[in-house]
Amino acid sequence: MTFKPLQANDVVSTRTLLHEAIPLTGTIVSGTYNDENIKNYSHGMFQSVYDYPYLSSSANHIFDLTVGYSTDSALYTATATANGQKAKKKNIYNQMCQVLMGYDATGSILKFDEDGDIIGGGRKMNEVIIMPFSRLLVKDEIKKESFSMTLGVSGSYWDKGKLGKRDPFANAKIKIMDVSASSEYRVNSPVGEYGILYATASVAGANGQQLETNATCVHTASIGGFTYWYAGLLFYQAGIAVLTASLFQENATATTNPGALLKTLAGGPGEHFRFISGSKSGGAGLFKNVNEALTGSAISASCEAFRHRIANVQFNNTTELNSTVYFCRANHNEFNYSSNPTYLSGSKIRVKSQASDDPVAYITTVGLYNDNNELMATAKLSEPLKKSPSTEFTIRTRLDY
Amino acid sequence: MSFLDNSGDIILDVVLTDHGRKEMSKGDGSFQITKFALGDEEINYSLYNKTHPSGSSYYDLEILQTPILEAFTDNAASMKTQLQTYDNLELLFLPVMRLNQREDANSMASNGTFYCAVNEATEDNGGSDATTTGVARASDGKARTGFMFGESLMGTLIRVDQGLDTTQISPLRALPDELKETSYTITMDNRLGMLVDSTGALASYDYLDDDNIAYYTVDLGDSYVKNITNNTTSPSQVIQGPRGTTMAFRIQSSMDTQTSSYLFTVLGSTETLTNRTAGGAGSSIVYYIDSIIRVTGVKTGSIIDIPVRYVRLQ
Repeated sequence: MTFKPLQANDVVSTRTLLHEAIPLTGTIVSGTYNDENIKNYSHGMFQSVYDYPYLSSSANHIFDLTVGYSTDSALYTATATANGQKAKKKNIYNQMCQVLMGYDATGSILKFDEDGDIIGGGRKMNEVIIMPFSRLLVKDEIKKESFSMTLGVSGSYWDKGKLGKRDPFANAKIKIMDVSASSEYRVNSPVGEYGILYATASVAGANGQQLETNATCVHTASIGGFTYWYAGLLFYQAGIAVLTASLFQENATATTNPGALLKTLAGGPGEHFRFISGSKSGGAGLFKNVNEALTGSAISASCEAFRHRIANVQFNNTTELNSTVYFCRANHNEFNYSSNPTYLSGSKIRVKSQASDDPVAYITTVGLYNDNNELMATAKLSEPLKKSPSTEFTIRTRLDY
Repeated sequence: MSFLDNSGDIILDVVLTDHGRKEMSKGDGSFQITKFALGDEEINYSLYNKTHPSGSSYYDLEILQTPILEAFTDNAASMKTQLQTYDNLELLFLPVMRLNQREDANSMASNGTFYCAVNEATEDNGGSDATTTGVARASDGKARTGFMFGESLMGTLIRVDQGLDTTQISPLRALPDELKETSYTITMDNRLGMLVDSTGALASYDYLDDDNIAYYTVDLGDSYVKNITNNTTSPSQVIQGPRGTTMAFRIQSSMDTQTSSYLFTVLGSTETLTNRTAGGAGSSIVYYIDSIIRVTGVKTGSIIDIPVRYVRLQ
């Protein structure tokens, strides 16, 4: 057996970032499978979304959804103590803050900050919708500045069985993006880098601009000459999007719903924004707005409502590929014979008529061995490669980790 | 002028073998790649047509059209045949390995396999006169041709000779050093048997892969490998031309096969063999497992697969 030792200059390590485009069509998460791809749990703390009915072995988990609020939130105070989900919403919020934002110098959990400037203070996101994506989709991380999510913000809420009449996307969509994140992201999180998610002006429709423009209430940023609304945070390595629930609040005034991103009567002329169906707490009506959903309904109800407002989600993932390239050099005077039993007839070489003929052999496989001649890895060529004393090859074999 | 063909840049994705993954999982640095070899196991060189009417460009047309399989991850199934480097580019003959069965003591059974009786009962009932169900001896007490005694380590000795098997070169001519095999790798299923020499001394394997395949290496000068000094046309020689070395071994049956029929029921079947009842009139039903022992020349890469049937009284 002919083994050729690999020299130091025959081995090189490289690092490559691979990106895949991940498009999540809204209909998959909100209707195609009649919600058989949605898994709710008895603990009720989050909801899992699959790309196929989850009882099938073909189903892949694509993301989870949950909501939570801080104890500093007015909604926490407004939630009845008897509401069993109150503590769970608070716990979810604290858990995610603990993991994603970390602690301050006193050991207190930091809250989600709308612009990531924790030391500078500023507005905190006290009520959030959290969307952890599956590792299957995110791989090593979400590629910066590749994330976009289109949400329907029509005043009509989704109502099972009445989808045709109540279309959350009708005439009003907003787009959430990590604008300019490849050049501006934060590194003050214990789970790596994160970017700011911004909402853009409404997709043009009958109702025109859906985002609140009252500068005294709404926080916006100007990037590249365009105005963007602070809408959440995107943790790239963790693969988690945190959206402010204010995305679905309207009627921002200095005293009422400050920070609400939707303008008053966003649901259309004369109609308020509706988040979920059901009896309006403390009054007549067949819907609840987002505040009422967070204070009076289960986590799963808010997840349902949010999920049915997702028109699509798209991002590019990143896989960090560490490779070792072995340069297998077959010089002109090497590997010209074969030990293949068919190479000989008796003991005579088939490919030669006389001794002075060039020997010829055909390469189909490269085997990589350790010191003890144990076969560690193999690589295959797509077609036989003719080797003779008049040819030389350098075959680059790449082992990815 | 047209562009030059730049498709000659060859980049191949490597697949770890199962044994490679096992070594890597140890995390002790034992996973190291330090050398490479080139293989050609899909190639059938008999397709090389030196009389093609269209000329020399067409000699290897069929070979170059050979479809190549994706990589196997089983380390024992890959790189079975390799390309060789010899300094002399004017070689017309290469050495081969042949089973030497010129004597009964080295021959297979009549059905073309070596037998290994895994325990004393299967061999000869421990020499009992009362029980004669053993199948490795004939009724006259002689060991049957092709039968190894896996427990008492006697019987047939498998012998492999190496050299240029051609009548075109006299055996008087010495085999060049670069063609003379001095080390052999013997590969066998460790669940079934182990390598022993002609005296019954057990060999230590180099390593055991994840599929329980043991790899032994034996060298010239130890009890397995000897030079072939007979350079006559003696009928005892199977290599007709210049001769290199000869290697001989037996198999010791594993503890599992000696003590239990479990592996036989999982991997094998049953057959009826003549036992040692007087007159050759009796027969016994035995479990059997068919296996292959592969001998590979370390220097020349030549290989020979030897069929072995492990048998155990039912």
